[in-house]
Amino acid sequence: MKHSFLDKYSDRDSLVHRLDPRTKLVAVFLFILAVALTSPAMWPGFAVYFVIIAALVLLSHVPVRYVLKRSLVIIPFVVLIAVFIPFFKEGEVAGSYNIWLWQVSVTHNGLQVFWNVLAKAWLSILALVTLTATTKITDLLRGLEQLRLPRVMVMILSFMYRYIFVLTDEVMRMKQARDSRNFGSGRRLWQIKTVGSMTGTLFIRSYERGERVYAAMLARGYDGQTRTPDGPGFRAADMVFGLGFGAAVVLTCIFSFLYQVI
Amino acid sequence: MHIPDGFLNVATVATTYAASAGGISYAVREANKKLREKHVPLMGILAAFIFAAQMLNFPIAGGTSGHLVGAGLAAILLGPWASVLIMSCVLIAQSLIFQDGGLLALGANIFNMGIVASFSAYFIYRMATAALGDSRRGRLIGGFVGAWASVVVSSMFAAIELALSGASPLAVVLPAMAGIHALIGIGEGLVTGAALSLVLAARPDLWQSRVVRRSAI
Repeated sequence: MKHSFLDKYSDRDSLVHRLDPRTKLVAVFLFILAVALTSPAMWPGFAVYFVIIAALVLLSHVPVRYVLKRSLVIIPFVVLIAVFIPFFKEGEVAGSYNIWLWQVSVTHNGLQVFWNVLAKAWLSILALVTLTATTKITDLLRGLEQLRLPRVMVMILSFMYRYIFVLTDEVMRMKQARDSRNFGSGRRLWQIKTVGSMTGTLFIRSYERGERVYAAMLARGYDGQTRTPDGPGFRAADMVFGLGFGAAVVLTCIFSFLYQVI
Repeated sequence: MHIPDGFLNVATVATTYAASAGGISYAVREANKKLREKHVPLMGILAAFIFAAQMLNFPIAGGTSGHLVGAGLAAILLGPWASVLIMSCVLIAQSLIFQDGGLLALGANIFNMGIVASFSAYFIYRMATAALGDSRRGRLIGGFVGAWASVVVSSMFAAIELALSGASPLAVVLPAMAGIHALIGIGEGLVTGAALSLVLAARPDLWQSRVVRRSAI
């Protein structure tokens, strides 16, 4: 089994690691909300947001390279959705191109919105990567439960997280078996049928594994409850961090708004 | 189709969060009523299954490839409410743990790919089996059309949300998203159909199995 575990830096020790997962979840949500509320033209605002999140990353002792790498992996997907924007915004035309039969024009307004969407998406992803890298998944799930996510969903999520890696291995093995049987040279419809049969097989194997897991848990006294040792609790440090971080983010958002109005 | 953060405005975020929270809390109520403790590990593993199945790529036109969303398959095999719960958990994990899909956009993503996709697939599947009979042929055709429709309809909702947020005008983004996904949806439909056919041949007893029958969740 070869997987890079996403919370592999979560056992380090730092100010950010010691915070209660609830504090971190709420802070990240607040940060992303403030970024979303900030007007596209407010570049200084975005610079301040970047400084805030960069400071957090440095405080957390998570390797900067790791955070950058994980956040940049997502950017192609963002560009894929955002790529239409510059072409379909009204306003002053920045450049016009003839591509085969279409005349395509890019507007200044459209470009600004495009860069803005990219900046917002990247800042948000940085915040989420920092959250995941500094929090154990079990703590994160407990935090979600304390924040009133329904219990049954927290339990589904915790089972899911335990078995993602097992089933991913299963998929890798199936892919390897498939590829060694000359999958690539078949017709497209046949390839799709093969993938469908693999999906069906994977479903049956997962279902049967679910039944086996339940039987094994029942034999060991499972009564529908899961018990985990207590993680970090809500302490004075959380209060200080929450107030400081919240104030920085909210003030940046308000000042950006005021600056634009004036 | 995972919408990242940065695209949706706050009004759209609030609306989709409220809609998804409503849908999930109804699904949880149904689950608490009808599910016993046995089914929680099962649903967790099936959520991991959806996650793993999304890693299987299938070829689409011109050298591109797509992967399963899986809501159609889950809704037809397990019923729409179980599918809503499972897909919501998959999307929460993808957003929080894998950064696939934004946190503010999570409400919209759960609404599109969890609630809308599950129910559109399920209703079209039911309509097909009502029209063609509850035979193997009816089920597979229903599975194909249902899964195709789930992708197209949820992409249209995503387009509407993007347009309402002012990212692109509706007249552009709606046909673009629906057109691309009408093509991708054929792959989803075929893969779902083939998967259903295999389950029907190997373990027909799992189909809408005991617990997660339509009336049950």
